Amino acid sequence: MSNKQGVTFNVQRFSTEDGPGIRTTVFMKGCPLKCAWCHNPEGISFKPQLVWYDRRCIGARDCLKACPENALKLTPKGMIIARSLCTVCGLCADACPAVALEVIGRKWTAEALVDEALKDVTFYRASGGGVTISGGEPLAQPEFVKEFMASCRAAGLHVALDTSGFAPPDVWEECVRLADLVLLDLKTLDESRHREYTGVDLAPILDNARRTAAFGVPVWVRTPVIPGYTDSEKNIREIAEFAARHVPTVERHDLLSFSNLCTSKYERLETNFPLRGRELLTKETMERLREASEAAGMKNAVWSGPTRIAEKE
Amino acid sequence: MTCEPAQLWSPSDGLSTRVKKLRGEYFSFYERDHFRNEVQAFTTGKPYDTVWAPHQWGVVPEIYMFFDAYRDSLLASASTVKLKAGFRREPLIVRRALFFREVVTKHLPVKILDGELIVGAHFNTALSKTHTKSEAKKYNRRIRKWLREARRLNAAGVGNCGATPGHLIPDYPEVLKTGFSGIHDRLTSQMKNRADAKGRNLLKAMLICCEAAAGFAERCAGEAERLAENEPDEKRAGELRAIALICRKVPWEPAETFHEALQSLWFTHMLVMAAESYPGPGLSYGRIDQYLLPFYRRDVSERKITREDARELLHCWWIKHNYAYDYQGRIGTNQGINSGFGQLITLSGCGPDGEDLTNELTLLMLEVIGEINLLEPKPNIRIHRNTPADFLLKVCELVSMAQGSPFLLNFDEASIRGLKWEGLPVDELWNYAPVGCLENTLQGKDRSGTVDVNVNLAKAVELALNDGRDTATGERLGPATGDPAAFHGFDDFFTAFKKQLSAILDLIIGCNNRADAIRARFEPTPYLSLLVEGCAESGKDITQGGAVHNFLTVQGIGFATAVDSVAAVKKLVYETGQISMPELLRAIRANFEGYEPLRQALLNRAPKYGNDDPAADDIAREVSRFWTEAVFREKSPATAKRYRGGYLSWNYWISYAPSTAATPDGRRRGTFLSNGICAVNGMAAAGPTAAALSAGRLSLETAPNGASHTISLNPTLVRDGEHLEKLAGFLRAYNECGGTALQINMITPDTLRAALENPEDHRNLLVRVTGYNAYFVMLGREIQNEIIARESLNLG
Repeated sequence: MSNKQGVTFNVQRFSTEDGPGIRTTVFMKGCPLKCAWCHNPEGISFKPQLVWYDRRCIGARDCLKACPENALKLTPKGMIIARSLCTVCGLCADACPAVALEVIGRKWTAEALVDEALKDVTFYRASGGGVTISGGEPLAQPEFVKEFMASCRAAGLHVALDTSGFAPPDVWEECVRLADLVLLDLKTLDESRHREYTGVDLAPILDNARRTAAFGVPVWVRTPVIPGYTDSEKNIREIAEFAARHVPTVERHDLLSFSNLCTSKYERLETNFPLRGRELLTKETMERLREASEAAGMKNAVWSGPTRIAEKE
Repeated sequence: MTCEPAQLWSPSDGLSTRVKKLRGEYFSFYERDHFRNEVQAFTTGKPYDTVWAPHQWGVVPEIYMFFDAYRDSLLASASTVKLKAGFRREPLIVRRALFFREVVTKHLPVKILDGELIVGAHFNTALSKTHTKSEAKKYNRRIRKWLREARRLNAAGVGNCGATPGHLIPDYPEVLKTGFSGIHDRLTSQMKNRADAKGRNLLKAMLICCEAAAGFAERCAGEAERLAENEPDEKRAGELRAIALICRKVPWEPAETFHEALQSLWFTHMLVMAAESYPGPGLSYGRIDQYLLPFYRRDVSERKITREDARELLHCWWIKHNYAYDYQGRIGTNQGINSGFGQLITLSGCGPDGEDLTNELTLLMLEVIGEINLLEPKPNIRIHRNTPADFLLKVCELVSMAQGSPFLLNFDEASIRGLKWEGLPVDELWNYAPVGCLENTLQGKDRSGTVDVNVNLAKAVELALNDGRDTATGERLGPATGDPAAFHGFDDFFTAFKKQLSAILDLIIGCNNRADAIRARFEPTPYLSLLVEGCAESGKDITQGGAVHNFLTVQGIGFATAVDSVAAVKKLVYETGQISMPELLRAIRANFEGYEPLRQALLNRAPKYGNDDPAADDIAREVSRFWTEAVFREKSPATAKRYRGGYLSWNYWISYAPSTAATPDGRRRGTFLSNGICAVNGMAAAGPTAAALSAGRLSLETAPNGASHTISLNPTLVRDGEHLEKLAGFLRAYNECGGTALQINMITPDTLRAALENPEDHRNLLVRVTGYNAYFVMLGREIQNEIIARESLNLG
């Protein structure tokens, strides 16, 4: 094993929504995309980030004493973190008895992360599960991710790669070849909208998608269904048609409904959630889109996620 | 996702009109103007007679304050039973049998409800102890002595104990196979080879009890005939005549049909409750889908009945068990006591070679459980390595139905390891079955005594930090282990903890030894003895240790609270030094008032059991092995019954919350202790796989009676077939690496909050509390809030 390190913002055991069976999902920190609806905003920045949880804070003020930069100020309205002064050294978080301050971003060696993943191996075997490497964008930490995936495979674990598809062709090929399953996010097939919504070009993603079947790896296409962005029937149909045509190893289309549970995460990161206050979709909409996907050639379209109860007409 | 009240375990529309009516009648216990199963007391009429004794209820500390009232009012209300001359010259055990026979063949009501197919309703009795004056004097003196100590230990939060009836699996299959007549024949021939007076008296008493059972069934037959004559509906009259024929035959003769088997089983079972004057608790059936199968198969293959007929018979049989709660409808409810009878049936499980024994009756019974929605009999499903995938999926589907599992899951391999550890015969272990909730025993030959003793493990932490004295009262409970501030390191602290734990085990076991001795000397139960292998042969009543296997169980309470406390002291006092011992002691004495940062550090900066973290789990394993191995070295002097450990916390993790000082895991006095082998509330932050692995690492074979483990799952886990498969996978893995038993709550906090606001709309809402189902709206507010607070592990 090398001493390359990866940075995660979460390692979730008993994950049941990111691939088959019971899984451990590793969320790598940092993403080149800036999707307006991102529900894991702490996964966007590659750098460690300090956050403060107001509900946990007991006002013990140990953090203020611990901070060497004087970057913290506890006011009646809450903790003010002077981001320009804060070096994210983490001393304040260590000092807080109530874990009200947390540095998001943990460094791992691949070896340590494989050990973590192996803890639930009994559950993977019994359920046909394994490890999912997600993010952020895992392929943005390619060296670490390759080593981690190779080690998982060597340990006999099923490995799913959950990715935006936005990666250089060589990284794509190397990583996809190490995966047992690719969970490929396709948001929209409209070039200009893709750039507008995510900040990156669509073309390299589609190029990667088209090449995937050549590596013989099964693919589940995943589409976040975001009201006002990706929730048109046309959009879902186009994605389904593309996948059915150009990704012959595609097995399934997951439609993930918009979630607003991330609003407080944005607040803690002191960033703006562009979709703040937006309503959830209805079950009826999700079901209609699922049918649209199957009508467009996907054999197995499945929707999941929070929905609102449709108002009576 | 919340469920509408109507979705919550309402009975299925598929129930027959007959069953709906009977079920509705049962649920009308608030409206009915008569009780069908209120306690009926029967006395010899002597002024010194006793019909109710507190040491049998010692494990229900909530009612300690009512003990005198129960004893006196039941005696005052008792009907006097006329006894033949010479009664008083008989030995006690024969008197008990004669009295029992007299009551069931002359006094116990034999009311038959309209539509019933299985008959026999009144089993809730308070029977005379039939003591002589001098026996009564000794008996009462010894009870008073026991009670004084029991009250002291309960008040101090050490635990409770009592000579609890029920809680075993009688040999019902023998009754089905040979009838009481066959048993009568066997006992008669045993009498011929028996010379000792004690053994002969026991056999004589047993023979009287065999006749009692037959006599009771005869009376039911008579009642059915009487009703048939006056019945205008020809169809019902025919049913009543058929019932009469069956009651003339069983339980005296062997059962031949499925209907006869169910009727025989119910008579035999309800009479145990009547004989012990103990309605329901823990009296369990064992592997009913196995021993009823031949009757079912024969009837179906000979076209005597259809599967639907059998289903309706099972429904009728099912309802009977719920009358155990009947009389409690009006006397009030306290903390789920009303919901905890646990007449357990066992379904599925492995055979002698590890093969699966699921059969068509298992499946039919699963359907019955799913559609009838009643508390009793409580089902426990045995899962093992070779449980078929389709059956496991069915189990998961039932778990997913609106509000979670209506049964407990018992895991064969882990359970069998424990039974092997306690020395039961290896070639019989495959045929074990749980009692009550999850207490593993052998069937028909094991006086398992599964809830005789309950000890508060967290109390030992308090005593170790206070030199053996109760923090609130200063009362000395354990040895002086010194001022903790003077301890030289963690080992000193851990040693003090273990000394205190040993001391309270000695106290509570000592107290129980008294109760066990009183039961053995003064309360023979020959009717139960004749249903348990070994008693006739050994010449000893079951209360005296006559069964083939004899155990008394010590159930540990507050396990994770104790473990997390030890782990926190180890880490924060002795490893990081973040907290000094004197400061910790001050904080605990102040119940953490003014010490919130310190308390937060204890909560957040110390390892917690239940997270697959060796720093806590290694301590958990050591604590568990320490106390369970200590318990296993003990025997009751009066009966030679061996003590063994288990983790069924019942509701004591609430009872002892106020009498346990603040603990170094950050818990304030009054906050609930931990339940079973669950993590402390809210502390299992790493999810159910981690919780399962922590449980599995405990080396639970040294707690062979079984361990209560609950996980609450979010309904999103079971929203579709794909996710049901994941749950099935989880259960399979749990079988491999987890504990002995699991209960799954599948419910959202929103549903429960709605139930708090609108109890009337949620009367059907069943929840798992520790080892038992309870109607949520009938639970005490404290338990309701605790269930809401219980972490619902979000899987979405």
